Amino acid sequence: MRCLLIVLCLATMWLGAARAEPPIRFGLTAAVVRENLDLYDRLAAYLGRKVGRPVEVVQRRSYREAMELLENGEHDFAWICSLPYAKYRDSERIGLLAVPVFRGAPLYRAYIIVHRSSPIQNIAELEKRVFAYSDPDSNTGYAVPRRMVNELGRNPDSFFRHTFFTYGHTETIEAVAERVADGASVDSYVWEFLAHHGSRLTTDTRIIGQSETYGFPPLVYRVGVDERLRTKMADALLAMNRDPDGQALLGELMLDRFITPDPSLYDGVRRNLDRR
Amino acid sequence: MRLPASPSLFIKLPLVLSVIVATVAATIGTAMVVQDRNRLRDELKGKALLLARSVAVTTPELLLRGDTWALYKVLRQITQGPEREGEAATVAAMVVDPNGKVLAHLDPAAFPIGLPAAVAGTEEHRLLDTALAMTEPGVLDGPGFVEGVTPVHTAGRTIGIVRVRLSTEELDRKTADAGLTVFLLSLGMTMVGSLLGAAWSVRTVRPLRRLARSMERMGRGEVTLLPVSRRDEIGQLVDSFNRMAVELDEKRRLEAELAANEKVIALGRIAAGVAHEVNNPLAGMLNCLSTLRARANDPALVAKYLPLIEKGLQRIGALVKDLLIELRVEDAHEAADPSCLEDIRDLVAAEIDPARVELGWDNRLQPGDLVNRPKMQQVLLNLMRNAVEAMPTGGCLACRFWSERTDLWFEVKDSGHGIAEDNLGRIFDPFFTSRPNGTGLGLWIVLRLVRSMGGTIDVDSAPERGTTFRIRIPRETDLVAQPA
Repeated sequence: MRCLLIVLCLATMWLGAARAEPPIRFGLTAAVVRENLDLYDRLAAYLGRKVGRPVEVVQRRSYREAMELLENGEHDFAWICSLPYAKYRDSERIGLLAVPVFRGAPLYRAYIIVHRSSPIQNIAELEKRVFAYSDPDSNTGYAVPRRMVNELGRNPDSFFRHTFFTYGHTETIEAVAERVADGASVDSYVWEFLAHHGSRLTTDTRIIGQSETYGFPPLVYRVGVDERLRTKMADALLAMNRDPDGQALLGELMLDRFITPDPSLYDGVRRNLDRR
Repeated sequence: MRLPASPSLFIKLPLVLSVIVATVAATIGTAMVVQDRNRLRDELKGKALLLARSVAVTTPELLLRGDTWALYKVLRQITQGPEREGEAATVAAMVVDPNGKVLAHLDPAAFPIGLPAAVAGTEEHRLLDTALAMTEPGVLDGPGFVEGVTPVHTAGRTIGIVRVRLSTEELDRKTADAGLTVFLLSLGMTMVGSLLGAAWSVRTVRPLRRLARSMERMGRGEVTLLPVSRRDEIGQLVDSFNRMAVELDEKRRLEAELAANEKVIALGRIAAGVAHEVNNPLAGMLNCLSTLRARANDPALVAKYLPLIEKGLQRIGALVKDLLIELRVEDAHEAADPSCLEDIRDLVAAEIDPARVELGWDNRLQPGDLVNRPKMQQVLLNLMRNAVEAMPTGGCLACRFWSERTDLWFEVKDSGHGIAEDNLGRIFDPFFTSRPNGTGLGLWIVLRLVRSMGGTIDVDSAPERGTTFRIRIPRETDLVAQPA
């Protein structure tokens, strides 16, 4: 009887300790297709199983918010855009956890899109039109098109009649598909992802131009996060393509695998940051 | 007088009933449709306003931040829910800035952001101006839609105007449907009404027709009693008719008897008068003959008595002639135009001395004012001859005839010696005369003929001021004018 009581006490304590351990918060931004939440929940569950702690995916509207949450310790990991990474990589606050390989390389680019029925053929013809940006801290959704306008010798602040932010590449594509915007610049991965799934948004839009390639939006960790947890998380990601469940998830995400590249991959993005 | 032709009650009753039913049904139906439409339109306006307000409540922050995409999504979410059956569709929804430029529009392709929401000079622009001028939420009416307008204020400043248009197409369709239903219902009710009317008229009119036929037969002297089959007004009418028929038959029988009696009495009186009138000269003549037979060779007596006998015979001859005239004309009937009276004028004019008697003739009867020629000619002849006789020293004889709506009037006026007041009551009696050589039958004949034509005669006379006879004869109807 006494033994039973002791066992019960121990069990309760163990359960309480397990419950007390907070979930790992994984920030998600416009860098990915946020609409497909179920997929990210399954990714979180997969990573949770691999690191031995529950992982929770948290969405934030803007990159800035996500970055702040990462900085002040609310989040330990985040999938962010290349631009914020390039901006903060030297700040010693975040570190490169892993980078996805998309269609053979850890690279992506910007697509300049217009509506399927639009007569516009290049970005120069978008002058005095309505243009949709995704986020002021986005590379392909903000910095790249502004650099392109700059290269035309025009001031990106006055080139378009009206600009607005949608805070999401999917929404940017939707804004063009709905013809709220005459043109937009979007993440090639997001566009291809939607196109692969036969989305109406991509069938209603047409690519009229693309940028050079940039380092793919990386997964980062907060400097100060538990070393072992960080290693576990990195290992879980890097080994995904060797795990059947992980491979299936990667397939759904249209990614080949995760790698750990050199931060210099983002030098190109860095240049955009300076000229934005 | 003939009444204008009018359709049978058989047709009129169902027709009237149908018209009443149709009018009532259509009036009530139209009122309901109109009321329903107004109610639906008010509802639609309320909904448009509510949608506009809902958008306006959400937008101030978005407008201030210039968050075009969020603004568009809010507009789309609120105003373009999944369309349900029977709900008004959103024709258009937009947020414009105070200058009328588009901030967000449900149809961004047609109304791009940053451009004016309407082209100047169009109806659309007029609506836009009205909406921009509104400081409070309100509703505008447009072609095929109602528009809810709500200005977005912040810190006392208008930063945008939300406009939501809901289609009235559904409303119009509902109204048309309701109108059609009312029309069909009215039609159905009208048909039922006419069937009921037809049934009713058959029930009502059949006994009336039988009654009419019976009355017609009664006019010809046949009396048929009708069966009383019900206890309503028509039953009472048939009952009354039966009683009247019986009474009328009785009356006719009594009248016939009375007339027969009167005829016998009159005949007796005439016979007595004739006997008396004949007897007077007869006695004198017999006396003369007796004297002549006794003294046949006395030429002086022959010369004295023969004229007396001749005078007596002439008097008897005149009496017989007048009686024959009366008998001949009494049953005569020949409808003729009033110009036939001119013959009498000519006849009398030939008999008088124009230097002595002035003859006035004013015949205003129209060709259609038919008169019974033999009777009227005799009446006129007698009156005119009397008038001439009443003016031995000459005077003025005036005849005037005219017609009124139902009667013809004949007036014969002389300026003779008039009729003594004592005699006035007796002038129409047979054998009454104030003239030594009169038979006393002239005015009696006039009275009998006027009465036989259903007319009346008035006499207006005063001694030395002349006499006026005025005769009123009911107009000869077509029926009477037709040859018997």
